Amino acid sequence: MVQKGASSDTSHLYDGKVVRSSAPSRKALAAKMTGSANTIPKDAIPEVHIPSFVESLFGGPLVPKMKFLPADKMVQTLQMASGAVMIMLGVLTYIVTPVSGTAWFWFGETIGVEVLGLAIHLLLVLGAIGCGFWGIISRDSRFLLISYVLFIVVSFRFAASKVSFEWLSFDDELLQKIALVAYAVLLVMYIELTNGVIRFSMLDTSIRTGEVYVMNVKKVLTKYHISLVITPIIAAIVAITTLLFKDVISGFVGIFSEVSALRLEESVELESVYGVALGTMIVFSLVAIVFVADIPGRYQKMREGGSSE
Amino acid sequence: MAWSRKSAMFGSLAIALYLLGLTLRNHQLVTVAVVLMSFLTWAALRAAHADVSASGRRMEERSDEEAGASLSRLEAMRKLSAARVFEDGTLDITLKVQNMSPLSKVLEVRDSLPEVMRIKEGANYILMELGPRRETVIEYTVECPLRGFYTVGPVCIRIQDSFGLFHKEKELHVYDDFLVFPKTEDLKDAFVKSKVPKIFTGAVNIRNPGPGSEFYNLREYIAGDPMKSINWPAYGRTGKLMVNERERDAVSDIILILDSRAVSETGPVSRNSLVYGTRAAASLASFFLSRRDSVGLVSYADEIISVDRDTGKKQLYVILTKLAGAMARGSTPLQVVTNRILPHINKGSPIIILSCLEDDSTIVNAVRDLRARDFDTTILTPSSLEFEFDARRLDRTGYEVLKTERDILISELRGLGAFVMDWEPDMLLSTALAGARGF
Repeated sequence: MVQKGASSDTSHLYDGKVVRSSAPSRKALAAKMTGSANTIPKDAIPEVHIPSFVESLFGGPLVPKMKFLPADKMVQTLQMASGAVMIMLGVLTYIVTPVSGTAWFWFGETIGVEVLGLAIHLLLVLGAIGCGFWGIISRDSRFLLISYVLFIVVSFRFAASKVSFEWLSFDDELLQKIALVAYAVLLVMYIELTNGVIRFSMLDTSIRTGEVYVMNVKKVLTKYHISLVITPIIAAIVAITTLLFKDVISGFVGIFSEVSALRLEESVELESVYGVALGTMIVFSLVAIVFVADIPGRYQKMREGGSSE
Repeated sequence: MAWSRKSAMFGSLAIALYLLGLTLRNHQLVTVAVVLMSFLTWAALRAAHADVSASGRRMEERSDEEAGASLSRLEAMRKLSAARVFEDGTLDITLKVQNMSPLSKVLEVRDSLPEVMRIKEGANYILMELGPRRETVIEYTVECPLRGFYTVGPVCIRIQDSFGLFHKEKELHVYDDFLVFPKTEDLKDAFVKSKVPKIFTGAVNIRNPGPGSEFYNLREYIAGDPMKSINWPAYGRTGKLMVNERERDAVSDIILILDSRAVSETGPVSRNSLVYGTRAAASLASFFLSRRDSVGLVSYADEIISVDRDTGKKQLYVILTKLAGAMARGSTPLQVVTNRILPHINKGSPIIILSCLEDDSTIVNAVRDLRARDFDTTILTPSSLEFEFDARRLDRTGYEVLKTERDILISELRGLGAFVMDWEPDMLLSTALAGARGF
């Protein structure tokens, strides 16, 4: 007879010796398992990442999900540079993108609250700066992506063919073009620098977790820094040439006929955005010829081959 | 030369902004598009983008030289610390990368490793700046957790522009093969500890002269005796030509039958019947060969692979190599194996079967045939049910039903006089063997 509350061991049967049960057998353990036979244990399902529509469209996650270690000096420098460029871009965006012609300006006018358009415009610029700031500090690509989109969206407007800045007026056409190119270059550099923050954070994390080993880090970084200076200059020169295509072409025609050159200079079409399009077409046709002739490849081969002697 | 996702996005954005700018007659958008395109073009020019596209040939038609001048003068060499290791062993890999070009390059180098290998020390992925006509050595250590034939290589080299917009890749076809043997368990102690000194009839000195390794006695030289067996000190003492006689070893034939059918790989990659079976076969082969027994191996999958009986260390490596390469495939029944090998085995030889005993209706008949011919039959059976159950891939009811079926089969085999051990995943081989033999 089993007494209530009595010890569960069997010491009373063996003169003080304690006899405990053996370890439960696997079979017995299986029998004690709870849960229905129809339920599949969670860990029995292998982890398969099914790409989303966006991921399949871009061939991978649009925003990296990697968790970064605290930023090192290089990343901090890039963060600071990105922040500075972002501020300049914010100011320049506000200058070169007037509110007139935008959808929100039209909406404000329609409902009779004109200031609404301006408020939305300002909000977009501030939103772009805010998201960018948070994205840079927290190294979160999602916020950076929103910031890029806002910076681009803010310049979506129906405009007159002529360059017009509502907040600042330049009398000199060249200065106008330079301001426009500076805005475009800053936007591209902002995208590149913030992308660099993410890229180098990933690299730094990989280095510190031992996934990647880096030899001559300084030289690798120096090359990046040099590119950061040279590339925007080149891009700016190409853009200026394209934007000043009217002057270039009239100067060229002027060698043969001054009258024709004058007509070209006063041409409304060449002054308009379609003139820029023509300039772009010609400039990039020249670039295409360079590619077709394999000039970069030949130059590279020459540099590589010239050495063997 | 390949575009990265970043450059593709930049390109798409540039085109979109350009078209939108023209539609909206917006200078700002067009200018941003032009700057983006210039940015991309400059990066492409710097990365010598046109070298393949301008040739007018398809990618697969290009030679290594055409793959890019910037990568054509890179070479790699690799050295492995060993060509054969046991499971859980480590391998030191030394990779030398040479830049024969006069230009310095920023390279990403990745030495391709088999998926199952784990890096213990160092890294196989290196980002470096390699100076002109310089070389660098990369050292790393990998852990080899699973048996098999493996190849390290190729060496993948990538060169890209500073912004990561375009890259060029090349595979240096430098390959090194190595073999991972199944790990062995030392069975000696377990056998000594057992109550019966010897389980199997192994190498026993039968006190008869004959070819062997142990000294037996001296006798007078008879014409035709090999010169190398003359005992010169005895000749010096006695003045008669004396030769050494050696004791003949009685060597048993031990046959290991390994089930490597597709079903034997049921369970996790590192814990399944085939993995356990190969480890047991390796341990047993090592143990018996160290006792100078003659050991043969038969592995059956979609075909029957056999290693003829032999003795010595060379035989051990032959068996280990076969075990390392055992692949789970096919469904050859055990009876086909026994029918084929029975005529070639000495009567009474111990036969050890390593099988999960699943998905084979001929097992009982095959064991009956073996027992009828008086073969000492031992079956070590790692249960895939346990592996599956431990990995929670099998529900309780399924496990119970299958376990009952398995217990019935094991009882039936025991009834035929075979020693059967239901080998649980956490049990040592020596314990399982002792259990099978009833100690």
